[in-house]
Amino acid sequence: MMTDSVLEVCNLNIHCPKPKGSCDKQRGLSLLASVNLELKRGKVLGLVGESGSGKSLTCGAILQMLQDRGLDTQGSIKLHGQELNGLRGEKMRRIRGKDIGYIMQNPMNAFTPVYSIGSQFIETLRSHFKISKKEAKIQAHQALEEMNLHHPDQVMKSYPHELSGGMLQRVMIAISMCLRPSILIADEPTTALDAVNQIKVLRELERLKTECGTSVLLVSHDLGVIAQAADEVAVMRKGEIVEYADVHELFDNPRHEYTRMLLQARPGIGQGA
Amino acid sequence: MLQVREVGYRYGHRRNWLRPRKENSFVLNQVTFELNHSSCLSILGTSGAGKSTLGRVVLGLQKPHQGQVLFEGQDLYAASGRFRKNLRRDIQVVFQDCYSSVNPLMTADQIIGEPLRNYERLSARELKRKTGELLEKVGLSVEDGNKRPDQFSGGQLQRINIARAIALRPKLIVLDEPVSSLDRVHQSLILDLLAELKASLGVSYLFITHDIQAAMTLCDRVAVMDRGEIVHLSDSPASLWNSQQTAVKNLIESVLPDHPGDRLTLF
Repeated sequence: MMTDSVLEVCNLNIHCPKPKGSCDKQRGLSLLASVNLELKRGKVLGLVGESGSGKSLTCGAILQMLQDRGLDTQGSIKLHGQELNGLRGEKMRRIRGKDIGYIMQNPMNAFTPVYSIGSQFIETLRSHFKISKKEAKIQAHQALEEMNLHHPDQVMKSYPHELSGGMLQRVMIAISMCLRPSILIADEPTTALDAVNQIKVLRELERLKTECGTSVLLVSHDLGVIAQAADEVAVMRKGEIVEYADVHELFDNPRHEYTRMLLQARPGIGQGA
Repeated sequence: MLQVREVGYRYGHRRNWLRPRKENSFVLNQVTFELNHSSCLSILGTSGAGKSTLGRVVLGLQKPHQGQVLFEGQDLYAASGRFRKNLRRDIQVVFQDCYSSVNPLMTADQIIGEPLRNYERLSARELKRKTGELLEKVGLSVEDGNKRPDQFSGGQLQRINIARAIALRPKLIVLDEPVSSLDRVHQSLILDLLAELKASLGVSYLFITHDIQAAMTLCDRVAVMDRGEIVHLSDSPASLWNSQQTAVKNLIESVLPDHPGDRLTLF
């Protein structure tokens, strides 16, 4: 079973050091305490927890983006057996995007407003592959078509503010899909979207998983999204993983008190849809 | 209490030779509905359906290009200055983004006390007592009154927004996606609070949301909007499930399952 695992996070600790010049009494803060995660090939691991529980921080740690924020990351993060923790600069940059795709919560802020979608798409492709602009354009066109975006030509020409949040999020997934990453980290991909667009985005994530065998780390606070898309679930609270189980197991008999509370917090709908 | 009659609204209507008028650019088109005392009408729809624009029109912030908005029988936009000031007192609002709807430099007491200062002549001690009461009513403590917005979590800040909205005992509160930016746990807490306030204060809600589940817990009537028009308006929320409208069907089909056993087949 060892070969099955794509990403292994072992004993991840994140520590916020005490601010410079502070008195001795002030101690640093521990933000994540011994987090263990394992992402299997072609599976979706859901990461649930309320705001501030450290979900996004875990994603940031996997992508090695916390050093700039002055946070201290300890533990091991292995991608196909290669240690990521401690990788710097150019080396890490090649992994980001290419091996680990990242979709963030707010698609409106993920694009530069001053360049067209097409030029940003092509730039991303060309920074990871040695291909001509023409080839990149063809690939981008195809990817957008596959994402069920109608009129891909028009989408390529338009600027981020001209598209809806749901469309932008699907463009993000299209970009990630083109780079064929082995892992996709989706940090609250549907929180900023309405229900109808949410379903569209989940559909594309599902396709990415089945057709390309991509593993997905799906961060969400919405248990509906988790019930729909995840295979395994890790429940986080205050920087710790309190429960880690198969999705059916978790919904049928939640073991931790906190999980039970999360499950009860879902408003009932009354009618069966 | 509130009557919205054939309201039409369009953006970018100021036409000149550089910007010729586009046809069919109405964001709201012939919107008509009524809202009674102490009831809750929920307006559902996808983004861009015109829900929030409708909310702003009802609040008296944007004058509609067609139709009328009547509040207690009076036209909201034809009213004179003093009368409108009194109308505003009776219509309050809670927005989705709790952080940008408060002044970050004011304390919670000042935020909640602002409408009271505008409308009621109270002594400083009275004001302090009233804001304290309001804080307790929304489930915060009196000591929280000295904190500033950045010291609150999203859910707590949304409670402060609600406290500000109920400070003047309005007749109508427009809730524009009040829970969409919160996580599920806090969503249900806020919804419980809203239901409780509705029962105790007898206030009406115009509840704008795209989340059917949130709407169902609170409302007693539903309207579904699609591209500026109300395509479904009914007294019983359950009727949504029998509707033949595509917009309504899309909304219903996008409700996520409660359990991984009932997963939707997506393709």
